[in-house]
Amino acid sequence: MIVTAFFYIFAAILVASAGMVVAARNPVHAVLFLILAFFNAAGLFLIAGAEFLAMILVIVYVGAVAVLFLFVVMMLDIRFDQMREGLQRYAPIGAAVGLVLFAELVATLAGLKIAPVEAAAPAASGLTNSAELGLVIYTRYIFLFQACGIVLLVAMIGAIVLTLRERVSSRKQDIAVQHARHPADTLVMADPVAGSGMDGQILRAPGWTPALDKPAPARLETTS
Amino acid sequence: MAPVINDYFPVLVFVVIAFVIALAMVGGSLLAGKQKPYPEKLSAYECGFEAFDDSRRRFDVRFYLVSILFIIFDLEVAFLFPWAVSLSRIGMFGFLSMLGFLGVLTVGFIYEWRKGALEWE
Amino acid sequence: MQHFFFNTDLGFTILTLAQALAVLVPLLMGVAYLTYGERKVLAAIQIRKGPNVTGPFGLMQPFADAIKMLTKETVIPADANRALFLIAPILTFALAMIAWAVIPTNNGWAVADLNVGTLYLFAISSLGVYGILIAGWASNSKYAFLGGLRSAAQMVSYEVSIGLVIVCVLLCVGSLNLNDVILAQRHVWFCIPLFPMFVVFFISALAETNRAPFDLPEGESELVAGFMVEYSSLSFGLFFLGEYANMILMSALTAILFLGGWLAPFDIAPFTWIPGPLWLIAKILCILFVFIWVRGTFPRYRYDQLMRLGWKVFLPFSLAWMVLTAGFLMATGLLPQNPGLAHTPPAIASGDTK
Repeated sequence: MIVTAFFYIFAAILVASAGMVVAARNPVHAVLFLILAFFNAAGLFLIAGAEFLAMILVIVYVGAVAVLFLFVVMMLDIRFDQMREGLQRYAPIGAAVGLVLFAELVATLAGLKIAPVEAAAPAASGLTNSAELGLVIYTRYIFLFQACGIVLLVAMIGAIVLTLRERVSSRKQDIAVQHARHPADTLVMADPVAGSGMDGQILRAPGWTPALDKPAPARLETTS
Repeated sequence: MAPVINDYFPVLVFVVIAFVIALAMVGGSLLAGKQKPYPEKLSAYECGFEAFDDSRRRFDVRFYLVSILFIIFDLEVAFLFPWAVSLSRIGMFGFLSMLGFLGVLTVGFIYEWRKGALEWE
Repeated sequence: MQHFFFNTDLGFTILTLAQALAVLVPLLMGVAYLTYGERKVLAAIQIRKGPNVTGPFGLMQPFADAIKMLTKETVIPADANRALFLIAPILTFALAMIAWAVIPTNNGWAVADLNVGTLYLFAISSLGVYGILIAGWASNSKYAFLGGLRSAAQMVSYEVSIGLVIVCVLLCVGSLNLNDVILAQRHVWFCIPLFPMFVVFFISALAETNRAPFDLPEGESELVAGFMVEYSSLSFGLFFLGEYANMILMSALTAILFLGGWLAPFDIAPFTWIPGPLWLIAKILCILFVFIWVRGTFPRYRYDQLMRLGWKVFLPFSLAWMVLTAGFLMATGLLPQNPGLAHTPPAIASGDTK
């Protein structure tokens, strides 16, 4: 009884916040509503007894994917007037895609009854559902599992190709090089006569090379 | 009545209590403290001058890269959880299956390392 | 009476409420006195006295601070997003408390004894980013924004290694239930066989809670106070309390994953007389002391060094160690033999309460 009530509460908030994702004027608010929707979906998973999936939904979608969304909408200064201009041009395409998706949804859901899902009967093995999943993901569905790995690899490479810019001017710390430095390479001990100075010369160690990976200049010797 | 959802009732109680306490604290300070706002007090912190422009602006793309890489590794960890609790049942095959998965991701990791995607200066 | 508390809706709700308060009230007191304890320990490290005016040994200091913060004005910057500006500290503080629902304080004593307790904690800790990110954005101030972004990237980077360390522990346990994690350490605490992971976890916990030497998001010398710069009064206080509550939470998690939680160090008479919750508290206090000790000792990391440590050292290292652990357990047949069993629901859950 109470569970049914919770189902409808979660479902109502889920649908309402999903609507707000589309309706919110401020993109940051839209992402925050999306997060609320994820939480309610996790609640629905819990009601259906899928606690592992509920937690993974929170960890992956709320904890990782939505963080990226927030990063993007917070850091891109989106101009609303510019977006309006685009709306005119892209509206027909958007409408067409939306229509196709909607038709597919109708086709799939036509036979479905919208009601609370009966909690799945506990598996006969008495395993938690995380262990049950573990039994099949890595063995029976190994090809799908490996395909996931490859999808992630492609995503990783794609992200790097799209976003990585080489900075030529920036200085990086190379700890190995720093550790490998020897005092003899960088230090010269000199003993100038008092009052004579170094004659405007800069003391350099024999193997000294300037920073920033420029080709080493000719060896500088001191004349002291 | 699913026993699973019963287990989560205390979580709901914790959520309610935590938010009530936190709201009470903020609300209490709004009520208890004297509110005397004036424009200078309400301006954003800056070193003594007016802010030049809005603070929300384009930012270094590397932050996106970090969060994308985080999603990928988070998913990897998500796949590891059920594996860790069922390893003795799925035996050597399951172990090798995961090694293959991790191997593919390690290739990606080495690629990003070599490309310098993990460099900050 | 028994029947009322376990078998009726109202009774069960009251019981759960009482249990929750029994965890949260000592936690809040602990948070208050952790701020005092930190000042005392830091003072001792720097050969000072620390707070010693309010009450005997300055023991009333946390209350004096609380009253002071309560009566200060809440300044909401004019350009800020008012609702989000106030939600951010509430979220940070509430998350740190919600996580305590699953912490077992004695054998089977957890308010919510979840099958997926470890995942629950991991999920809650991955939400910590939001309070900071929202605060940084809602303040509409450059320092706050920069601090928020840095902090988010930092927490996210160390989250991966925390996840891998947890997987490593789970391999030795074979269950996601936190109580099972502790019971699996009856013979030897995991900090001994998994010592490198213990170190990685502790350092990642420092980074995850934005504590020194990883407190760049609030680095005073460059970002003033980072994402907290625009906050005042108790909305600042909530961030402050949230940070300390998170410290206690991470210490509790370290104690559970690596130091045997409520288990006595030796399973013999004088040690087993002391009840489990006291052992847990003692372990948490020890780890908290190290948190403060580290703050008093180490200089702040630079941001590039921080990211390098997270992505180039901890991530590959903990991944490799995880694979090694799995391989070792496979080869020696030491894997937990009957993993993933659903725990038998306690008496509370078996009564039909709804």
